[in-house]
Amino acid sequence: MRLARRRRFVGQLEVMEVVYRVYVAAIFGAIALALIAGWVNNAGVGAGAVADIADKGPALIGIVVALAVFSGLRSGARGGPLAIEAAEVQYVLLAPIDRRLALRTSALRQLRIAVLAGAVLGAVGGNFAFRRLPGSPVEWLACLAAFGAVVPLLTLAGALLASGRRLRPALAGAAGALLLSWSLADVALGTKTSPATMLGSLATLPLQGGATAAMAAVGVAIAAMAAGLGLASLGGLSLEAALRRASLTAQLRFSASVQDIRTVVLLRRQLASETPRQRPWVRLRAPRLAKHPVWRRGWQSILRWPAARFGRVLALGLLAGALAAVAWSEATPVIVLVGLVLLVAALDLVEPLAQEVDHPMRLELLPAPPAALIREHLVSPTLGMGVVVVLGAIAAAALGFASTALGVGAVMFAPTAFVLLCCAALSATNDPYEFLLTPLLGYLQTGLPIAVAILATSAPVMAARASAEHGGSAAAAAAGVELVMLAIAVAIAIWLGYRVAKRTTVQP
Amino acid sequence: MSAGAATVAGVELGSSPAVLVARGLGRKYEGFKALGSLSVEVQEGEMVALIGPNGAGKTTFLTIAAGLLEPSNGTLEVGGASAGSLAARRLVSYLPDTPVFYEDLSLGEHLEYVAGLHGAGDVGARARMLLERLGMESWGESLPSEFSHGMRQKASVALALIRPFSILLADEPFDGLDPPSRDVLFELLAEARKGGAAVVVSTHRRDVIAAADRCLALRDGRLAYDGAPKPDAIAEFFEG
Repeated sequence: MRLARRRRFVGQLEVMEVVYRVYVAAIFGAIALALIAGWVNNAGVGAGAVADIADKGPALIGIVVALAVFSGLRSGARGGPLAIEAAEVQYVLLAPIDRRLALRTSALRQLRIAVLAGAVLGAVGGNFAFRRLPGSPVEWLACLAAFGAVVPLLTLAGALLASGRRLRPALAGAAGALLLSWSLADVALGTKTSPATMLGSLATLPLQGGATAAMAAVGVAIAAMAAGLGLASLGGLSLEAALRRASLTAQLRFSASVQDIRTVVLLRRQLASETPRQRPWVRLRAPRLAKHPVWRRGWQSILRWPAARFGRVLALGLLAGALAAVAWSEATPVIVLVGLVLLVAALDLVEPLAQEVDHPMRLELLPAPPAALIREHLVSPTLGMGVVVVLGAIAAAALGFASTALGVGAVMFAPTAFVLLCCAALSATNDPYEFLLTPLLGYLQTGLPIAVAILATSAPVMAARASAEHGGSAAAAAAGVELVMLAIAVAIAIWLGYRVAKRTTVQP
Repeated sequence: MSAGAATVAGVELGSSPAVLVARGLGRKYEGFKALGSLSVEVQEGEMVALIGPNGAGKTTFLTIAAGLLEPSNGTLEVGGASAGSLAARRLVSYLPDTPVFYEDLSLGEHLEYVAGLHGAGDVGARARMLLERLGMESWGESLPSEFSHGMRQKASVALALIRPFSILLADEPFDGLDPPSRDVLFELLAEARKGGAAVVVSTHRRDVIAAADRCLALRDGRLAYDGAPKPDAIAEFFEG
């Protein structure tokens, strides 16, 4: 029957459309690769940096691996990583057959896809690495492809184990935190004992000696063993979690297919069981804020965030700072990630405004012009975003760019926070069905906030770097760019108000 | 299985005379108690009407019995096996309040698949009979996406009845059905009971309650009434 379903699925595919999609993806992929390759090629890595990568690289990469496993364990504790159809739960998993056998095909398929995608990405990384670092192309391609394959394998294995063994979220989180702490200890002590660090050794193997190869092999063996254990414990999956996940992932896929980022954010939170706290962290009593109910509402929303969301947003701030430091000193293309990371944080912060737009009837019944209300909604989240950007500057400063990072950060934090918030607001208020018949405009609508967020974070940093390289003031160069960014943000804020007001049916 | 165990609707039961036994069954959802310490038994061949206002815990009880939900406390056994275990799954057929289908299998393929999973072998004749009685005989080759709400409900009924079971848990199965289909479902439930299976039906319909052997009324997650479906005794559960 599964074969019949597969045949029907394949039969329903439009061959020409699939070929066209592959063709378009191949063209854009090739262009992106060529651009990145050209960009990367221009910079060389000195002997000191190579020694640093060989020495500290495994442990630092190990932290990323540990974070991936951490997220896998948390996902598993909530019923992931398998997304089983509701009908599969109702008819197959309730049937008197071994659930481990019933789920094995789906689990293996998911592992296969993740491993293959990881290997391809790793090989792409290897293609760039051998151009800048010592070692043969074959070595780099093989090591990074293997690393790319093993990391998702270990992540999914962790998720399968947590889900099959019914680990409570707190216990799964503790196990993940333990692995992360182990990797952090490796970084601090200069050791290579954590399994995650061992996999980090695999990623830098062409720079390491023979002994490291054995360590990398141990890391791979641990990942393979974890995957085996994960597959063996498949039958323990909680049906309650599977049903909940089935419904949410189906909606998530649909929302992603129509580029409805707001719904994707909401569904992802549901998948992660990320609900607002019953009691806020702090009860707002500030009487001055009573005159500004919209600002007050914004803070009240943020003060009800669950700990996980606070942790994520603060971690994203720190990560953005670290990425900016890497982009400044080593790999310029990484700057693109700074904007993306901060935009993800902004999408969390913009929640009060998004809630308002999600409930248009309430908005229309309020005795205030919708445009003014929406603009007022930008205030509290922008202040919150400012804190995130400041954290980024502190992280960059801690990585050895103290005076420059703090100077540029001081100039950037307010305008950048405002632009990013406006981008997130634009994204959250997009109507995914507005351009259903003109998909190109739809892509533009989705892509615009992302592009502006990347520009808003990369342009000032790059201008500051260029100025510093020529002996000028980094902060002054950033300030010049920020004026333009501020103008863009104001334009977006005006447009936002206009857009929301236009949608209201009750006109003043 | 112990020697002398009863066989109901082709399925062998454990040594317990009751097909379903719940002891101190409770379920909490993040601070909200949906079901609190429920103890109840359902015998073979018994038709039980499960009633109560919205939010009383009827669906929670049925989904725990089906093995889809785990209790926060207490136990529920089906044929002597823990709910959700392999042995219990052989005995329980669950008809959910919201029909669930694969979007890429026709109704006929669904029936074949579900029957196959339960080791029912060739069920062609039974499938045809069920579809015919439910007025779905011309829809066997159709995908569920073509079905109306009522047709989805009827297809779900067919799927619940195509396989052998010793207890049928039906969550508001009459909702969305037209009067002739309601009559057919009524007959099918009666036939299942006659075959020795227990039937637990969550419902708000007085005619279904009247036809039951026993009525269980839930209120705020607790058993508020357990006895014969006397109109006077259960009237309060139909008031606002």
